[in-house]
Amino acid sequence: MYNLKFPAGLALLLLLLFSAGPAYGKVYIDIDSPSFQQFPIAVADFKPLRPFPENEKLSLLFSDTLSRDLTLTGYFHLLDRKAFLEDPNRAGITAEGIRFEDWTVIGAEYLVKGGFQTDGRELVAEFRLFDVVRGELVVGKRYSGKSGDHNRMVMQFVSEILLALTGEAGLFDTRIAFVKKSATSAEIYTINFDGSDPRRVTNYNALTLSPRWSPDGRFLAFTSYKEGNPDIYLRDLESGSTRKIAFYPGLNLPGSWSRDGKRLLVTLSRDGNQEIYEMNVENGLLLRLTRDFSIDVSPVRSPDERRIAFVSNRSGSPQIYVMDADGGNVRRLTYGGNYNTSPAWSPKGKKIAYEGSVNGRFQIFVIDAEGGDPQQVTFEAGDHESPSWSPDGRYLAYSVRGYGRSRIEIMNAGGQGVRVLHEDKDTSQSPFWSPHLR
Amino acid sequence: MKRSWGWVGLMALVLCLSVSWMTGCAKKASLKEGAVVTQEQKVVAQTPAEASAAAADDQAARERALQEQALRDQAAREAAAKEAKDAADRAKKEAAAKAAAILKELQIADVNFDYNMYNLRPEAQDILKKGAPAYLKYRDYKLVVEGHCDERGTAEYNLALGEKRATEAAKYLADLGIEKERIKTIRAHFVIFPPVK
Repeated sequence: MYNLKFPAGLALLLLLLFSAGPAYGKVYIDIDSPSFQQFPIAVADFKPLRPFPENEKLSLLFSDTLSRDLTLTGYFHLLDRKAFLEDPNRAGITAEGIRFEDWTVIGAEYLVKGGFQTDGRELVAEFRLFDVVRGELVVGKRYSGKSGDHNRMVMQFVSEILLALTGEAGLFDTRIAFVKKSATSAEIYTINFDGSDPRRVTNYNALTLSPRWSPDGRFLAFTSYKEGNPDIYLRDLESGSTRKIAFYPGLNLPGSWSRDGKRLLVTLSRDGNQEIYEMNVENGLLLRLTRDFSIDVSPVRSPDERRIAFVSNRSGSPQIYVMDADGGNVRRLTYGGNYNTSPAWSPKGKKIAYEGSVNGRFQIFVIDAEGGDPQQVTFEAGDHESPSWSPDGRYLAYSVRGYGRSRIEIMNAGGQGVRVLHEDKDTSQSPFWSPHLR
Repeated sequence: MKRSWGWVGLMALVLCLSVSWMTGCAKKASLKEGAVVTQEQKVVAQTPAEASAAAADDQAARERALQEQALRDQAAREAAAKEAKDAADRAKKEAAAKAAAILKELQIADVNFDYNMYNLRPEAQDILKKGAPAYLKYRDYKLVVEGHCDERGTAEYNLALGEKRATEAAKYLADLGIEKERIKTIRAHFVIFPPVK
């Protein structure tokens, strides 16, 4: 059974009530292939589980949130409520109470039904996904929690739907860290994939930047000027405690983690120049990887950990370079334009996203990790910066600023389906996508 | 693209040199206060000597004399205290004015860099050459070199660039004879220290 644990640790009991039909096989599909057809799905309004009147607003809130989150995934085409033929007062929420032809005739392939009950601050909800063509239950769950947990319950069930239909749980168990700048400080925040639940992580009233999740999602490494020098700190998101892990004279900036969570790539200027090192997080031991009298910064590992991409101005302008994990075999990756920075290696290892200047504005590019022609994926006005891949490699998060506005956006890795993740009066920058927060 | 701005013109790449803390002012003020205490002790010490010299037959006159003496002593003490305070205030003011004058002499103008560069331009070298002698004259003063970058561009790369710029300027100042120990470099992104216009 796939079990999601939310990072807040809120008491959200998960009970498996209904087992999937034994004959139902998983369908693995490629949403990015040109032949992909979205699943036509209907979401019925939620009903009270007991014969008592319940809050009607909550009934709509469940179905609306569910419809929104299903749309966000990109896998589903939501059927219009107005087209529904079923009489909601007579129909049930289990297979026995559903006339499946009411749904197939309007073009649905899948149907989500659910119910809920409230007792004071307690909230219980049931969700069921039906394959209406086969006329059978695909997956059903019952969640109990507090009032206000409906959003989490919906995200959790959408993950179940994705797991059942695509073999992957989607991104509803991920968050995106980013930096929010005001006039006098910059602090780190995290936010859900659907834009809900923004949370402040640091409150130092100082410049804090470069959030980097550990591979298990438990720690955030970042740099803060809170004690004057740009030092690297490690926040334990479970206990809330913070430890200073690199505080050499000069710059201390975190890069990417190793998969085992033991080694962190860092940029340090302790030897008089900005160089890339690998630091053992437990004992602080350093392994120096670059030796060049120019700026070397922003290291990022390939998923197989054999190579490291980084930014260097050794050729005169900042460009992306790739080297072996031990620092050898350095070669230049980008040649177009005079400013290419912020490399992000795709989770499947084949591509590197970065920002490059085009006519004086920054746009996001994706290049083959082996080199070749870069593909520009953003084209709007304003500066597009700091790309970060979703853990499944399907999306890129990045920041956009210019013309008095600033926001974090998400788009498909191919450049379509742009969605604003976060926007307010402050400047939002440097998004960094979490791993699955199981 | 709709806009094409010249990079060099747009990038206000600023390096700001500013003077850090100073020493000496507080010391002078406390020396004067020490002098005040010594004067007061002298006045008090005279009192018992004069009292023993007075005649024993006219006690009232003696008491009156003592009282008058006490009043005189108090007046003298107050006058001395006032004079000392005025002197301390004057000294403080003079010290502050002198420090302000020195600070003004120690000011070095901002140094600008070309877009994405950290080598010192000839104009920048001239500014530093003009500014260095004051630091050779007033050796109690230290200086802080702040490296700034334009807000545009990548935060991490800009931090490195700002550090490179501060380091270049600091090296040049050291070559002009200012002891390395007196120069502190800090690297700052736009956020904490907006670039000077």
